[in-house]
Amino acid sequence: MAQEGAGGACQDDALFQQAPCGYLTTTDDGTLTRANDTFLDWAGYRREDLLGTSITRLLPVGDRILYSTHCLPQLLTVGAVSEVVVEVVAADRARRACLLTATRSPASAAGPAEIRIIVFSIPERRAYEQELVAALHRAEQSESARTRAEEDLRRQAVRDALTGLPNRAGLDAELTRSLAAASAPVGLLFVDLDHFAAVNASLGTAAGDELLVVVAGRLLECARASATVARLSGDEFVVADELDTAAAEALAQRVLAALSVPVVVQGLEIVASASIGAAVSAGAEDTAERLLHHAAVAVHRAKARGRRCVAVHDPTRTDAAVGRLRLLGELRRAIAGGELRLHYQPRIGLAAGTMTGVEALVRWEHPVRGLLPPSEFIDVAEESGLVRELGAWVLDTAVEQAARWAADPAARTVQMAVNVSTRQLGDPGLVAAVTGVLARHGLDPRMLVLEVTETALMTDPDAAASALRALKELGVGVAVDDFGTGYASLTYLQRFPVDELKIDRSFVMGLGVDDGAGAIVATCVQLAHAMGIRAVAEGVETEDQRLALVAMRCDFVQGYHYARPLTAPALQAWHRERTTG
Amino acid sequence: MNHPHPTEAEATRRSNVTVLGRAEGRPVLFVHGFGSGQEMWHRLLPAFTAHHRVVLYDQAGAGHADPAAYDRARHASLDGYASDLLDVCAELDLRDVVVVAHSVGAMVAVRAAVADPSRFGQLVLLAPSARYVDDAATGYDGGFSREDIDELLDSLDHNYFAWTAAVAPMVMGTPDRPELGEELTQAFRQTNPDTARDFARVTFLSDSREVLAHVTTPTLVLQCRHDALAPEAAVRRVHEGIAGSVLVELDAIGHCPHVSAPDATAAAVLSHLGQPA
Repeated sequence: MAQEGAGGACQDDALFQQAPCGYLTTTDDGTLTRANDTFLDWAGYRREDLLGTSITRLLPVGDRILYSTHCLPQLLTVGAVSEVVVEVVAADRARRACLLTATRSPASAAGPAEIRIIVFSIPERRAYEQELVAALHRAEQSESARTRAEEDLRRQAVRDALTGLPNRAGLDAELTRSLAAASAPVGLLFVDLDHFAAVNASLGTAAGDELLVVVAGRLLECARASATVARLSGDEFVVADELDTAAAEALAQRVLAALSVPVVVQGLEIVASASIGAAVSAGAEDTAERLLHHAAVAVHRAKARGRRCVAVHDPTRTDAAVGRLRLLGELRRAIAGGELRLHYQPRIGLAAGTMTGVEALVRWEHPVRGLLPPSEFIDVAEESGLVRELGAWVLDTAVEQAARWAADPAARTVQMAVNVSTRQLGDPGLVAAVTGVLARHGLDPRMLVLEVTETALMTDPDAAASALRALKELGVGVAVDDFGTGYASLTYLQRFPVDELKIDRSFVMGLGVDDGAGAIVATCVQLAHAMGIRAVAEGVETEDQRLALVAMRCDFVQGYHYARPLTAPALQAWHRERTTG
Repeated sequence: MNHPHPTEAEATRRSNVTVLGRAEGRPVLFVHGFGSGQEMWHRLLPAFTAHHRVVLYDQAGAGHADPAAYDRARHASLDGYASDLLDVCAELDLRDVVVVAHSVGAMVAVRAAVADPSRFGQLVLLAPSARYVDDAATGYDGGFSREDIDELLDSLDHNYFAWTAAVAPMVMGTPDRPELGEELTQAFRQTNPDTARDFARVTFLSDSREVLAHVTTPTLVLQCRHDALAPEAAVRRVHEGIAGSVLVELDAIGHCPHVSAPDATAAAVLSHLGQPA
């Protein structure tokens, strides 16, 4: 390779070629200009393979990024980098650990700028350093940084890739450790996003992912630094910390508030909501798994209560899985055995102040547990499919009652609103069933309103739209229930022949307390009117709320401010007392 | 204004803000990328200080930014970094700002401009990429696979000591700028390995493609040849994503044209701003 005949240059060249370490030179942009024999022997390349190519091609991708972002800029500004640990991909594709030190000589009369690189092979040092790093991480035990460092080491296995939060395995490890170390009770919140499937279905999974990342960030903001925030799967998150029951509930409320701030996802503003189940450790027998199970059971109850709410695990309850199976059997017998009742909550026209309709609400007169609200059994019914039989019974009984009132001159004739579940709406036999029930009891179809949730509409929008159109042709009214809690956009709603929007109680309850809730209610009323349909506010409990709704020109209201759900005779009695008194 | 709040200069201190140039000039704010701090802009500055108010800062966890201000939750997404940028602008009351942002700094600037468009007059995005990881679902070519990024995180681990080394650097071969050596080398070494790792993850796993469509600030996109971090397709995606943006290919190679080709970079920016280089 020697080009000069002079002896000194020859010796210099031999020193360059046979030096005890690899030498490389490159231009400022990383193009290799020289490589010594030592490097070529070590890495297995031929000189002509390398010269003219970029040095970054010798590096695996991670090191390539570091070289481009760190080494090269430092060389160009400072003129040197020293002892950077990289791997070189040898000709046989094996990776060789090495230490890279380089200097840059600026352009001069003698030639352009040149980067001169020394490469030391360091297989042993590399192993030693890895041990040192591992030891360093271990040595940080008992410091606050300990958990973080350990997390870093286990990151691949215990992290959720999307949000960077611990996954199920990571949570288990964290929770087991904190249960063992805790002197105070450990509280766990199981946070389950409401209607998340609808976001994925209507806006796409990229939007869903974006929402999940935002939710993760908000949970981290709500929790203390000592808390563990994890993502279990899909739309399920967990927050665990040293919390007693009161603190867990307070944290749960903060989480609900934080999640209710609108999020812009793919240009659309949506309001996330969640149901939260809380469980608090009671003693040494509480394992991570048990605690998580308790919170998961509690979240089911929260969802049944109408979402956007918190349920706390009650250790005095019987084991939930067994309880659910027994409940299912009991419910099946209850439907057949006549243990179900309908109660009717009046719906009032705000302008005239008179009752125009009722909503039929199912109760279970349980032989042992007494009168149960739907939240105690509706989720079991939904999950098992028993909700179809339950729904059929409710529809039949409500229509029969409405027809009886319509035929009774002494009774007030009212429009009857009946809730239709997601499964019922998806049932191709729904229209025929409604037609049959109306004919059997001789009720004018215009006296029946079917209430469907946003989620039910969006589960299979095409099927829902065609079912609702057929019902509309019959003359039956359609209301969208719990409006505002799902993610239905205006565009979506316009696809359906809807007569009423029922604004969810969680917003109505915030009237006068929370400006955000007021704005949401007002927007819902305006939205309904813009679509040429009626707005109904649920859960009106105070005179202030009523006045606010009057000011917003809401059409109908229902809630405890007027009456709780009443039995059929009690409803008529309430009406008589109200109109005569 | 007459009663300065004690924390008034908080963002300035936190982000180690440097202000240079003509006080009454149009502000140019430089936002550095992954792997360094504000020192990266050093070679570019002389072209700007004569006419502009030049503002530099260190992103959280980098350079001489206050390590205590690094907040894992806030900085778990690029929006946290964008908030830092807006805090600096607000505290210095910068208006009609020209933001020159490099690499992942470009997406920090984009997010800041979407969050508060009223601040900014011009974005200059240097070697930007809205997403580094390929996305097979949309046929997007970001240049890296998920495994590649895991390798980078490994690589950062291997350099744990190289990044923190407390030994005095052996500064050699800077005869043209001996005054820089020590200080700049320190700045490069300042990066905390733990936060660098976090920043790497946030940077290389972020996806800002959907944010681009919301940019209303005039935008200049500068592209280099053979950029190992921001391949041509990724830079073009940024240009196509921002309506009305202008794409200029620089006569520069690699990912850091402001370091390797400062004159060409400055000339491209200044001529776009309607000024002589």
